[in-house]
Amino acid sequence: MTFFERMMSIDRRIIFLFVALAVAIPLLRPLGFPVQVSEEVRSFHKEMAALEEGDIIMLTFDYEGDVMAELDPMAIAVLKDVFPRGVKVVALTTYAGGTGIAENHLREAAEVYGKTYGVDYVFLGYNPDWSGTILRLGESFKKTYPTDQYGKNTNDIPIMQEVETYDDIELICSIAGSALSEYWAIWAGGRYGVKVISGNTAIQAVLIYPYYQAGQIPGFLGGLKGAAEYEKLIDEPGMGIRGMDAQSIAHALMLVFILVGNIGYFFSRRAKREELRKG
Amino acid sequence: MKRQGPIILAFVVGMLMMIQFFTPNPFFLSLYNTVLDWKQVVLGCTFILGTWSLIRYHLTRIQRKQDNWRYSYVTLAGLGFMVLSAGIWKTTTGPYPWLFSNVQVPMQSTMFSLLAFYVASASYRAFRARTVHATLLLVAGALVMLGRVPIGAYFSGTVFGVEISLVEISDWMLNVPNLAAKRGIMIGVGLGTTATALKIILGIEQTYLGRTD
Repeated sequence: MTFFERMMSIDRRIIFLFVALAVAIPLLRPLGFPVQVSEEVRSFHKEMAALEEGDIIMLTFDYEGDVMAELDPMAIAVLKDVFPRGVKVVALTTYAGGTGIAENHLREAAEVYGKTYGVDYVFLGYNPDWSGTILRLGESFKKTYPTDQYGKNTNDIPIMQEVETYDDIELICSIAGSALSEYWAIWAGGRYGVKVISGNTAIQAVLIYPYYQAGQIPGFLGGLKGAAEYEKLIDEPGMGIRGMDAQSIAHALMLVFILVGNIGYFFSRRAKREELRKG
Repeated sequence: MKRQGPIILAFVVGMLMMIQFFTPNPFFLSLYNTVLDWKQVVLGCTFILGTWSLIRYHLTRIQRKQDNWRYSYVTLAGLGFMVLSAGIWKTTTGPYPWLFSNVQVPMQSTMFSLLAFYVASASYRAFRARTVHATLLLVAGALVMLGRVPIGAYFSGTVFGVEISLVEISDWMLNVPNLAAKRGIMIGVGLGTTATALKIILGIEQTYLGRTD
Protein backbone atom coordinates (compact mmCIF):
# COMPACT_ATOMS: atom_id res chain seq x y z
CA MET A 1 0.00 0.00 0.00
CA THR A 2 1.42 3.39 -1.04
CA PHE A 3 1.63 6.39 1.27
CA PHE A 4 -1.33 8.06 -0.47
CA GLU A 5 -3.43 4.92 -0.23
CA ARG A 6 -2.66 4.84 3.48
CA MET A 7 -3.93 8.41 3.69
CA MET A 8 -7.25 7.15 2.35
CA SER A 9 -7.63 4.28 4.78
CA ILE A 10 -6.86 5.49 8.28
CA ASP A 11 -8.17 3.02 10.83
CA ARG A 12 -11.50 4.16 12.26
CA ARG A 13 -10.24 3.56 15.81
CA ILE A 14 -7.57 6.23 15.26
CA ILE A 15 -10.29 8.65 14.08
CA PHE A 16 -12.41 7.79 17.13
CA LEU A 17 -9.44 8.44 19.43
CA PHE A 18 -8.72 11.83 17.86
CA VAL A 19 -12.41 12.84 18.04
CA ALA A 20 -12.55 11.85 21.72
CA LEU A 21 -9.45 13.92 22.46
CA ALA A 22 -10.68 16.86 20.37
CA VAL A 23 -13.88 16.97 22.42
CA ALA A 24 -12.50 16.13 25.86
CA ILE A 25 -9.39 18.32 26.03
CA PRO A 26 -11.09 21.68 25.26
CA LEU A 27 -13.87 20.81 27.73
CA LEU A 28 -11.29 20.18 30.46
CA ARG A 29 -9.00 23.05 29.48
CA PRO A 30 -11.05 25.78 27.74
CA LEU A 31 -9.29 27.64 24.97
CA GLY A 32 -11.55 30.70 25.01
CA PHE A 33 -12.40 31.13 21.33
CA PRO A 34 -14.40 34.35 20.87
CA VAL A 35 -18.17 33.87 20.37
CA GLN A 36 -19.68 36.10 17.67
CA VAL A 37 -23.41 36.75 18.03
CA SER A 38 -25.49 36.03 14.94
CA GLU A 39 -28.50 38.03 13.77
CA GLU A 40 -31.05 35.34 14.59
CA VAL A 41 -29.78 35.01 18.18
CA ARG A 42 -29.77 38.79 18.57
CA SER A 43 -33.42 38.78 17.44
CA PHE A 44 -34.24 35.98 19.91
CA HIS A 45 -32.64 38.02 22.69
CA LYS A 46 -34.50 41.14 21.59
CA GLU A 47 -37.84 39.32 22.00
CA MET A 48 -36.83 38.07 25.43
CA ALA A 49 -35.45 41.45 26.52
CA ALA A 50 -38.78 43.10 25.66
CA LEU A 51 -40.55 41.07 28.36
CA GLU A 52 -41.49 42.97 31.50
CA GLU A 53 -42.08 41.98 35.10
CA GLY A 54 -45.33 40.05 35.45
CA ASP A 55 -45.40 38.96 31.81
CA ILE A 56 -46.07 35.28 31.23
CA ILE A 57 -44.24 33.13 28.69
CA MET A 58 -44.75 29.52 27.73
CA LEU A 59 -41.60 27.42 27.72
CA THR A 60 -41.80 24.04 26.02
CA PHE A 61 -39.23 21.34 26.75
CA ASP A 62 -39.79 19.35 23.56
CA TYR A 63 -36.76 17.12 23.77
CA GLU A 64 -35.32 14.11 25.55
CA GLY A 65 -31.99 12.95 26.88
CA ASP A 66 -30.43 12.37 23.48
CA VAL A 67 -30.15 16.08 22.59
CA MET A 68 -29.73 17.43 26.12
CA ALA A 69 -26.13 18.48 25.43
CA GLU A 70 -27.34 20.92 22.78
CA LEU A 71 -30.66 22.04 24.19
CA ASP A 72 -30.17 22.08 27.95
CA PRO A 73 -27.89 25.15 27.81
CA MET A 74 -30.67 26.99 25.94
CA ALA A 75 -33.42 26.08 28.41
CA ILE A 76 -31.20 26.93 31.37
CA ALA A 77 -30.19 30.26 29.80
CA VAL A 78 -33.84 31.17 29.14
CA LEU A 79 -34.72 30.54 32.79
CA LYS A 80 -31.65 32.52 33.92
CA ASP A 81 -32.80 35.36 31.69
CA VAL A 82 -36.48 35.54 32.67
CA PHE A 83 -36.65 34.52 36.33
CA PRO A 84 -34.53 37.39 37.74
CA ARG A 85 -36.69 39.88 35.84
CA GLY A 86 -39.94 38.61 37.34
CA VAL A 87 -41.24 37.04 34.12
CA LYS A 88 -43.53 34.11 34.87
CA VAL A 89 -43.20 30.75 33.14
CA VAL A 90 -45.81 28.20 32.09
CA ALA A 91 -43.82 25.11 31.15
CA LEU A 92 -44.88 21.92 29.42
CA THR A 93 -43.53 19.14 27.27
CA THR A 94 -44.81 17.05 24.41
CA TYR A 95 -42.10 14.42 24.96
CA ALA A 96 -42.42 11.73 27.65
CA GLY A 97 -38.73 12.08 28.49
CA GLY A 98 -39.07 15.84 28.65
CA THR A 99 -40.84 15.71 32.02
CA GLY A 100 -37.76 14.77 34.04
CA ILE A 101 -35.63 17.31 32.18
CA ALA A 102 -38.13 20.13 32.68
CA GLU A 103 -38.67 19.28 36.35
CA ASN A 104 -34.94 19.35 37.08
CA HIS A 105 -34.26 22.66 35.32
CA LEU A 106 -37.32 24.43 36.69
CA ARG A 107 -36.65 23.28 40.24
CA GLU A 108 -32.96 24.24 40.12
CA ALA A 109 -33.65 27.67 38.61
CA ALA A 110 -36.51 28.32 41.06
CA GLU A 111 -34.21 27.51 43.99
CA VAL A 112 -31.51 29.87 42.71
CA TYR A 113 -33.88 32.78 42.05
CA GLY A 114 -36.29 32.14 44.93
CA LYS A 115 -39.34 31.45 42.77
CA THR A 116 -42.51 29.86 44.09
CA TYR A 117 -44.20 26.99 42.28
CA GLY A 118 -47.70 27.87 41.17
CA VAL A 119 -47.12 31.60 41.56
CA ASP A 120 -44.04 32.34 39.48
CA TYR A 121 -44.03 29.21 37.38
CA VAL A 122 -45.97 26.05 36.75
CA PHE A 123 -45.17 22.78 35.03
CA LEU A 124 -48.19 21.42 33.23
CA GLY A 125 -46.43 18.17 32.36
CA TYR A 126 -46.56 15.85 29.40
CA ASN A 127 -49.34 15.56 26.91
CA PRO A 128 -48.86 12.81 24.33
CA ASP A 129 -50.99 14.36 21.60
CA TRP A 130 -48.64 17.12 20.51
CA SER A 131 -50.68 18.38 17.57
CA GLY A 132 -53.91 18.33 19.58
CA THR A 133 -52.13 20.03 22.48
CA ILE A 134 -50.90 22.91 20.33
CA LEU A 135 -54.40 23.48 18.95
CA ARG A 136 -56.31 22.89 22.20
CA LEU A 137 -54.18 25.36 24.15
CA GLY A 138 -55.46 28.02 21.78
CA GLU A 139 -58.99 27.26 22.98
CA SER A 140 -58.32 26.64 26.67
CA PHE A 141 -55.22 25.93 28.72
CA LYS A 142 -57.24 24.50 31.62
CA LYS A 143 -59.25 22.14 29.47
CA THR A 144 -56.09 20.89 27.77
CA TYR A 145 -54.37 20.47 31.14
CA PRO A 146 -57.06 19.95 33.81
CA THR A 147 -54.21 19.12 36.24
CA ASP A 148 -50.52 20.01 36.36
CA GLN A 149 -47.67 17.49 36.38
CA TYR A 150 -48.26 16.77 40.07
CA GLY A 151 -52.01 16.20 39.81
CA LYS A 152 -53.05 19.58 41.16
CA ASN A 153 -56.15 21.10 39.60
CA THR A 154 -55.05 23.93 37.30
CA ASN A 155 -58.07 25.97 38.44
CA ASP A 156 -56.45 26.12 41.89
CA ILE A 157 -53.01 27.24 40.68
CA PRO A 158 -52.56 31.03 41.05
CA ILE A 159 -50.55 31.60 37.85
CA MET A 160 -53.18 29.71 35.86
CA GLN A 161 -55.83 32.26 36.94
CA GLU A 162 -54.10 34.63 34.55
CA VAL A 163 -53.89 32.20 31.65
CA GLU A 164 -56.87 31.02 29.66
CA THR A 165 -55.62 30.98 26.06
CA TYR A 166 -52.60 32.04 24.01
CA ASP A 167 -53.91 35.62 24.23
CA ASP A 168 -52.75 35.70 27.85
CA ILE A 169 -49.11 34.87 27.21
CA GLU A 170 -46.48 37.08 25.62
CA LEU A 171 -44.71 34.42 23.65
CA ILE A 172 -43.96 30.73 23.26
CA CYS A 173 -40.34 29.69 23.55
CA SER A 174 -40.09 26.25 21.99
CA ILE A 175 -36.91 24.36 22.84
CA ALA A 176 -37.18 21.40 20.50
CA GLY A 177 -35.09 18.52 19.26
CA SER A 178 -37.43 17.91 16.34
CA ALA A 179 -39.69 19.77 13.92
CA LEU A 180 -42.00 20.78 16.77
CA SER A 181 -40.87 24.41 16.74
CA GLU A 182 -42.17 24.60 13.18
CA TYR A 183 -45.54 23.22 14.29
CA TRP A 184 -45.76 25.66 17.19
CA ALA A 185 -45.13 28.43 14.64
CA ILE A 186 -47.62 27.06 12.08
CA TRP A 187 -50.48 26.15 14.40
CA ALA A 188 -50.11 28.28 17.53
CA GLY A 189 -48.55 31.21 15.67
CA GLY A 190 -50.50 30.92 12.42
CA ARG A 191 -53.92 30.10 13.77
CA TYR A 192 -53.89 31.93 17.12
CA GLY A 193 -51.42 34.73 16.44
CA VAL A 194 -49.11 34.07 19.38
CA LYS A 195 -45.44 34.93 18.95
CA VAL A 196 -43.15 31.89 18.73
CA ILE A 197 -39.38 31.88 19.19
CA SER A 198 -37.32 28.74 19.32
CA GLY A 199 -34.19 26.92 20.35
CA ASN A 200 -33.23 24.03 18.11
CA THR A 201 -30.53 21.47 17.50
CA ALA A 202 -28.00 22.49 14.87
CA ILE A 203 -29.50 20.01 12.40
CA GLN A 204 -33.02 21.31 12.94
CA ALA A 205 -31.97 24.96 12.96
CA VAL A 206 -31.18 24.80 9.25
CA LEU A 207 -34.90 24.22 8.64
CA ILE A 208 -35.94 27.24 10.73
CA TYR A 209 -34.46 29.86 8.40
CA PRO A 210 -37.56 30.16 6.16
CA TYR A 211 -39.75 30.81 9.22
CA TYR A 212 -37.23 33.31 10.53
CA GLN A 213 -37.03 35.21 7.25
CA ALA A 214 -40.83 35.26 6.97
CA GLY A 215 -41.16 36.54 10.56
CA GLN A 216 -43.10 33.46 11.70
CA ILE A 217 -40.28 32.72 14.14
CA PRO A 218 -38.80 36.14 14.92
CA GLY A 219 -35.67 34.73 16.55
CA PHE A 220 -34.05 31.39 17.22
CA LEU A 221 -31.05 29.70 18.79
CA GLY A 222 -29.34 27.22 16.49
CA GLY A 223 -27.48 24.40 18.21
CA LEU A 224 -24.89 24.77 20.91
CA LYS A 225 -23.51 27.81 19.10
CA GLY A 226 -26.87 29.57 19.46
CA ALA A 227 -26.92 28.72 23.17
CA ALA A 228 -23.39 30.09 23.57
CA GLU A 229 -24.32 33.33 21.79
CA TYR A 230 -27.39 33.77 23.97
CA GLU A 231 -25.36 33.08 27.12
CA LYS A 232 -22.97 35.79 25.97
CA LEU A 233 -25.80 38.29 25.42
CA ILE A 234 -27.32 37.71 28.86
CA ASP A 235 -23.85 37.55 30.42
CA GLU A 236 -24.43 34.12 31.94
CA PRO A 237 -21.65 31.87 30.62
CA GLY A 238 -22.59 28.20 30.84
CA MET A 239 -22.20 24.93 29.02
CA GLY A 240 -22.94 26.60 25.68
CA ILE A 241 -19.86 28.80 25.73
CA ARG A 242 -17.82 26.03 27.29
CA GLY A 243 -18.82 23.60 24.57
CA MET A 244 -17.87 25.95 21.76
CA ASP A 245 -14.14 25.25 22.07
CA ALA A 246 -14.75 21.50 21.86
CA GLN A 247 -17.07 21.94 18.87
CA SER A 248 -14.56 24.20 17.09
CA ILE A 249 -11.72 21.74 17.50
CA ALA A 250 -13.90 18.75 16.58
CA HIS A 251 -15.12 20.47 13.39
CA ALA A 252 -11.59 21.48 12.46
CA LEU A 253 -10.36 17.93 13.09
CA MET A 254 -13.07 16.44 10.89
CA LEU A 255 -12.09 18.81 8.10
CA VAL A 256 -8.43 17.81 8.50
CA PHE A 257 -9.40 14.15 8.14
CA ILE A 258 -11.54 14.93 5.09
CA LEU A 259 -8.65 16.90 3.59
CA VAL A 260 -6.18 14.09 4.26
CA GLY A 261 -8.55 11.58 2.65
CA ASN A 262 -8.98 13.79 -0.42
CA ILE A 263 -5.25 14.41 -0.84
CA GLY A 264 -4.73 10.67 -0.68
CA TYR A 265 -7.55 10.11 -3.17
CA PHE A 266 -6.24 12.77 -5.60
CA PHE A 267 -2.64 11.52 -5.69
CA SER A 268 -3.60 7.82 -5.75
CA ARG A 269 -5.87 8.49 -8.71
CA ARG A 270 -3.11 10.40 -10.48
CA ALA A 271 -0.63 7.59 -9.83
CA LYS A 272 -3.08 5.01 -11.20
CA ARG A 273 -3.69 7.10 -14.31
CA GLU A 274 0.03 7.39 -14.92
CA GLU A 275 0.44 3.66 -14.46
CA LEU A 276 -2.31 3.04 -17.01
CA ARG A 277 -0.77 5.48 -19.44
CA LYS A 278 2.58 3.76 -19.15
CA GLY A 279 0.82 0.49 -19.76
CA MET B 1 -71.95 0.09 2.41
CA LYS B 2 -68.89 -1.43 4.06
CA ARG B 3 -66.74 0.71 1.81
CA GLN B 4 -69.08 3.62 1.21
CA GLY B 5 -69.65 4.24 4.95
CA PRO B 6 -66.05 5.25 5.76
CA ILE B 7 -65.84 7.32 2.54
CA ILE B 8 -69.00 9.25 3.46
CA LEU B 9 -67.72 9.68 7.02
CA ALA B 10 -64.35 10.99 5.77
CA PHE B 11 -66.15 13.40 3.42
CA VAL B 12 -68.52 14.77 6.06
CA VAL B 13 -65.86 15.14 8.80
CA GLY B 14 -63.32 16.52 6.34
CA MET B 15 -65.71 19.14 5.01
CA LEU B 16 -66.87 20.14 8.51
CA MET B 17 -63.31 20.55 9.74
CA MET B 18 -62.44 22.56 6.66
CA ILE B 19 -65.44 24.88 7.14
CA GLN B 20 -64.77 25.39 10.86
CA PHE B 21 -61.38 26.89 10.06
CA PHE B 22 -63.03 29.78 8.24
CA THR B 23 -65.98 30.51 10.50
CA PRO B 24 -66.32 31.72 14.12
CA ASN B 25 -69.75 30.07 14.34
CA PRO B 26 -70.24 28.60 17.89
CA PHE B 27 -71.51 25.29 16.48
CA PHE B 28 -68.34 24.75 14.48
CA LEU B 29 -66.19 25.90 17.40
CA SER B 30 -67.90 23.39 19.66
CA LEU B 31 -67.44 20.68 17.02
CA TYR B 32 -63.77 21.59 16.69
CA ASN B 33 -63.26 21.30 20.45
CA THR B 34 -65.09 17.96 20.55
CA VAL B 35 -62.88 16.60 17.78
CA LEU B 36 -59.77 17.76 19.65
CA ASP B 37 -61.05 16.04 22.82
CA TRP B 38 -61.67 12.82 20.94
CA LYS B 39 -58.28 13.03 19.29
CA GLN B 40 -56.68 12.98 22.72
CA VAL B 41 -58.83 10.05 23.85
CA VAL B 42 -57.97 8.05 20.74
CA LEU B 43 -54.27 8.83 21.20
CA GLY B 44 -54.45 7.71 24.83
CA CYS B 45 -55.85 4.38 23.65
CA THR B 46 -52.97 3.96 21.21
CA PHE B 47 -50.62 4.04 24.20
CA ILE B 48 -52.42 1.07 25.72
CA LEU B 49 -52.26 -0.69 22.37
CA GLY B 50 -48.57 0.14 21.97
CA THR B 51 -47.68 -1.13 25.45
CA TRP B 52 -49.61 -4.34 24.91
CA SER B 53 -47.98 -4.82 21.52
CA LEU B 54 -44.50 -4.33 23.04
CA ILE B 55 -45.17 -6.85 25.80
CA ARG B 56 -46.58 -9.43 23.39
CA TYR B 57 -43.69 -8.97 20.95
CA HIS B 58 -41.07 -9.59 23.62
CA LEU B 59 -42.95 -12.48 25.23
CA THR B 60 -43.08 -14.15 21.81
CA ARG B 61 -39.33 -13.59 21.34
CA ILE B 62 -38.65 -15.21 24.70
CA GLN B 63 -40.99 -18.13 23.99
CA ARG B 64 -39.40 -18.81 20.59
CA LYS B 65 -35.89 -18.09 21.86
CA GLN B 66 -35.17 -15.85 18.88
CA ASP B 67 -31.80 -14.08 18.39
CA ASN B 68 -30.79 -12.07 21.46
CA TRP B 69 -34.00 -13.15 23.22
CA ARG B 70 -32.43 -12.58 26.65
CA TYR B 71 -32.49 -8.81 26.01
CA SER B 72 -36.27 -9.03 25.91
CA TYR B 73 -36.18 -9.80 29.65
CA VAL B 74 -34.33 -6.50 30.15
CA THR B 75 -36.95 -4.61 28.16
CA LEU B 76 -39.86 -6.18 30.03
CA ALA B 77 -38.17 -5.76 33.40
CA GLY B 78 -37.39 -2.09 32.64
CA LEU B 79 -40.95 -1.43 31.50
CA GLY B 80 -42.48 -3.18 34.50
CA PHE B 81 -40.17 -1.58 37.04
CA MET B 82 -40.66 1.97 35.73
CA VAL B 83 -44.45 1.57 35.75
CA LEU B 84 -44.40 0.07 39.26
CA SER B 85 -42.03 2.65 40.70
CA ALA B 86 -44.10 5.49 39.24
CA GLY B 87 -47.24 3.89 40.68
CA ILE B 88 -45.80 3.24 44.15
CA TRP B 89 -43.48 6.22 44.75
CA LYS B 90 -44.85 8.69 42.14
CA THR B 91 -42.63 10.27 39.50
CA THR B 92 -41.03 12.88 41.77
CA THR B 93 -39.58 10.67 44.51
CA GLY B 94 -38.06 7.22 44.86
CA PRO B 95 -36.39 5.22 42.11
CA TYR B 96 -38.30 6.69 39.15
CA PRO B 97 -36.53 10.10 38.91
CA TRP B 98 -33.23 8.44 39.88
CA LEU B 99 -33.52 5.90 37.08
CA PHE B 100 -34.52 8.62 34.66
CA SER B 101 -31.57 10.89 35.49
CA ASN B 102 -28.97 8.17 35.99
CA VAL B 103 -29.94 5.47 33.52
CA GLN B 104 -32.27 6.71 30.79
CA VAL B 105 -30.70 10.13 30.18
CA PRO B 106 -27.06 8.89 30.11
CA MET B 107 -28.04 6.02 27.80
CA GLN B 108 -29.86 8.34 25.40
CA SER B 109 -27.03 10.87 25.49
CA THR B 110 -24.44 8.14 24.91
CA MET B 111 -26.30 6.75 21.91
CA PHE B 112 -26.61 10.20 20.36
CA SER B 113 -23.03 11.26 21.11
CA LEU B 114 -21.74 8.15 19.34
CA LEU B 115 -22.93 9.91 16.21
CA ALA B 116 -19.97 12.31 16.45
CA PHE B 117 -17.58 9.38 16.11
CA TYR B 118 -19.46 7.71 13.29
CA VAL B 119 -20.03 10.96 11.41
CA ALA B 120 -16.31 11.76 11.66
CA SER B 121 -15.35 8.32 10.35
CA ALA B 122 -18.07 8.26 7.66
CA SER B 123 -17.34 11.76 6.38
CA TYR B 124 -13.63 10.96 6.16
CA ARG B 125 -14.43 7.92 4.00
CA ALA B 126 -17.33 9.27 1.96
CA PHE B 127 -16.52 12.96 1.44
CA ARG B 128 -14.35 12.58 -1.65
CA ALA B 129 -14.17 15.12 -4.46
CA ARG B 130 -14.95 12.48 -7.11
CA THR B 131 -17.25 14.61 -9.26
CA VAL B 132 -18.16 18.29 -9.64
CA HIS B 133 -21.32 17.77 -7.55
CA ALA B 134 -19.43 15.96 -4.82
CA THR B 135 -16.81 18.73 -4.80
CA LEU B 136 -19.51 21.40 -4.47
CA LEU B 137 -21.08 19.50 -1.58
CA LEU B 138 -17.69 19.06 0.03
CA VAL B 139 -16.78 22.74 -0.25
CA ALA B 140 -20.21 23.88 0.99
CA GLY B 141 -20.08 21.46 3.91
CA ALA B 142 -16.57 22.52 4.85
CA LEU B 143 -17.44 26.23 4.74
CA VAL B 144 -20.55 25.82 6.88
CA MET B 145 -18.79 23.49 9.33
CA LEU B 146 -16.05 26.01 9.96
CA GLY B 147 -18.24 29.09 9.67
CA ARG B 148 -20.68 27.85 12.33
CA VAL B 149 -18.11 27.53 15.09
CA PRO B 150 -16.07 30.30 16.77
CA ILE B 151 -12.83 29.15 15.13
CA GLY B 152 -14.38 30.25 11.80
CA ALA B 153 -14.04 33.89 12.89
CA TYR B 154 -10.28 33.58 12.41
CA PHE B 155 -10.73 32.91 8.69
CA SER B 156 -11.22 36.25 6.98
CA GLY B 157 -9.42 38.23 4.34
CA THR B 158 -9.68 40.45 1.29
CA VAL B 159 -10.79 38.96 -2.00
CA PHE B 160 -10.68 41.32 -5.04
CA GLY B 161 -10.64 44.26 -2.66
CA VAL B 162 -13.68 43.05 -0.70
CA GLU B 163 -13.35 42.22 2.99
CA ILE B 164 -14.91 38.81 3.51
CA SER B 165 -15.09 36.33 6.37
CA LEU B 166 -15.92 32.66 6.60
CA VAL B 167 -18.73 33.42 9.04
CA GLU B 168 -20.37 35.71 6.46
CA ILE B 169 -20.04 33.08 3.73
CA SER B 170 -21.54 30.46 6.03
CA ASP B 171 -24.42 32.78 6.99
CA TRP B 172 -25.05 33.57 3.32
CA MET B 173 -25.17 29.87 2.44
CA LEU B 174 -27.72 29.21 5.16
CA ASN B 175 -29.77 32.32 4.43
CA VAL B 176 -29.86 32.11 0.64
CA PRO B 177 -29.28 28.72 -1.06
CA ASN B 178 -30.35 26.66 1.96
CA LEU B 179 -33.41 28.81 2.57
CA ALA B 180 -34.42 28.80 -1.10
CA ALA B 181 -34.17 25.00 -1.29
CA LYS B 182 -36.03 24.49 1.96
CA ARG B 183 -38.79 26.90 0.95
CA GLY B 184 -39.21 25.10 -2.37
CA ILE B 185 -39.52 21.78 -0.55
CA MET B 186 -41.99 23.27 1.93
CA ILE B 187 -44.20 24.64 -0.83
CA GLY B 188 -44.10 21.26 -2.55
CA VAL B 189 -44.97 19.44 0.65
CA GLY B 190 -47.77 21.91 1.37
CA LEU B 191 -49.31 21.46 -2.07
CA GLY B 192 -48.89 17.69 -1.82
CA THR B 193 -50.56 17.58 1.59
CA THR B 194 -53.47 19.71 0.36
CA ALA B 195 -53.91 17.52 -2.72
CA THR B 196 -53.81 14.31 -0.67
CA ALA B 197 -56.27 15.72 1.90
CA LEU B 198 -58.67 16.70 -0.88
CA LYS B 199 -58.32 13.27 -2.49
CA ILE B 200 -59.18 11.58 0.83
CA ILE B 201 -62.14 13.91 1.50
CA LEU B 202 -63.49 13.37 -2.01
CA GLY B 203 -63.00 9.60 -1.80
CA ILE B 204 -60.42 9.40 -4.60
CA GLU B 205 -57.64 8.23 -2.27
CA GLN B 206 -58.76 5.05 -0.49
CA THR B 207 -55.53 3.45 0.72
CA TYR B 208 -56.56 4.17 4.33
CA LEU B 209 -59.32 1.62 3.77
CA GLY B 210 -56.77 -1.01 2.90
CA ARG B 211 -57.11 -0.62 -0.88
CA THR B 212 -53.81 -0.69 -2.70
CA ASP B 213 -54.99 -0.43 -6.34
